[in-house]
Amino acid sequence: MLNRPSSRRKSHSEGIELNLVPILDTMVTLIGFLLFTTSFLAIVSIESPIPGRAPDDPNKKPDEKPLQLTVELNAKSIEVYSYSEKFPRKSLPNTAEGKVDLKSLHETIIEVKKRFPAEENIVLTPSEGIAYESMISVMDAVRELETTDPSIYRKNATTGVDEVVKNLFPKVLFGNLQAGGT
Amino acid sequence: MAAGRGIRSRRGRRKMNKAFELQLTSMMDVLVIIVVFLLKSYNISTHNFSNASGLQLPISGSQDNPTDSVQVIVTPESLTLDNERILDFQQLALNAGSKEATYAFKSTDLSDGGRLIVPLHDALIKAKERTELLLAKSKARVDGKPIPFEGILAVQADKRIKYDTIRKIMFSAGAAGYKMVRFLAMKKET
Repeated sequence: MLNRPSSRRKSHSEGIELNLVPILDTMVTLIGFLLFTTSFLAIVSIESPIPGRAPDDPNKKPDEKPLQLTVELNAKSIEVYSYSEKFPRKSLPNTAEGKVDLKSLHETIIEVKKRFPAEENIVLTPSEGIAYESMISVMDAVRELETTDPSIYRKNATTGVDEVVKNLFPKVLFGNLQAGGT
Repeated sequence: MAAGRGIRSRRGRRKMNKAFELQLTSMMDVLVIIVVFLLKSYNISTHNFSNASGLQLPISGSQDNPTDSVQVIVTPESLTLDNERILDFQQLALNAGSKEATYAFKSTDLSDGGRLIVPLHDALIKAKERTELLLAKSKARVDGKPIPFEGILAVQADKRIKYDTIRKIMFSAGAAGYKMVRFLAMKKET
């Protein structure tokens, strides 16, 4: 038997109620899992090949002298020079607080990159007493191009279009691994 | 008067119990937002680097995420390779006991003109052989051969460590047939 029109209308207006409780359970479990597995310790890495193992670049012309940009980290200053003397040697003394002058080093490296935009290798020769922290900050200064730095362009050999250089000298090599220790 | 209020309140409570239903929809909204946020900030990286207590990593602006590899932890007091303590540094008598005590290698641990750390070199060769054995046993192949050993050594060193120690570690790694050193640092806040 059919209901009266008034009661029929009432039953329709109630509608279906979605059971949200199991979905809620899933969400809570998911949040717990994500919070548990997320590593809040953000670790980054800087890679450096161990010299003497990497093969030579086959595309390089043998008679072309490499730039061999070298950064020598001494206790009181930083020396920036090229082994093939393609630019004048620059000496950057430490700041008054005795810290490495990273700003000047970064500016010098940008100048070198402007002159040799295709070069990617840099040789680092820190002296024995240099702290690991200074070494990492120097590596940062010579590798990364900050957003506030001026743009450097490099001509793409195949397309002939100028491209923005994203890094300074990302391939850091250590030049004095073979030297004798104490 | 008091009795009347009591009855009224009881009645009111009964009415509320009947009508009370938890509003789950808004709660769901909040949870969905949290899940989306967590998924977005979820760092999909395969590294499993344990952090030694008391180790202060330097800060770096590098953007590279490290992958899993053999790792050496260098604290001012000791050297650890893959959770296995390899050697302890010797405290120098100069300022022993003070907070800024300096540590150095024992002369018996070094060879090759003071360039090679013997226990580390041996442990690195063992770790390399272990990895090569695992790669040979695994089914993953490149041109019918097992995947070649990557030869990457991750270095987690305290920021106070001197370059001299780092150089000895790199030299030992090179002598043990490793091709790359990966320095680990804390990400710089931007």
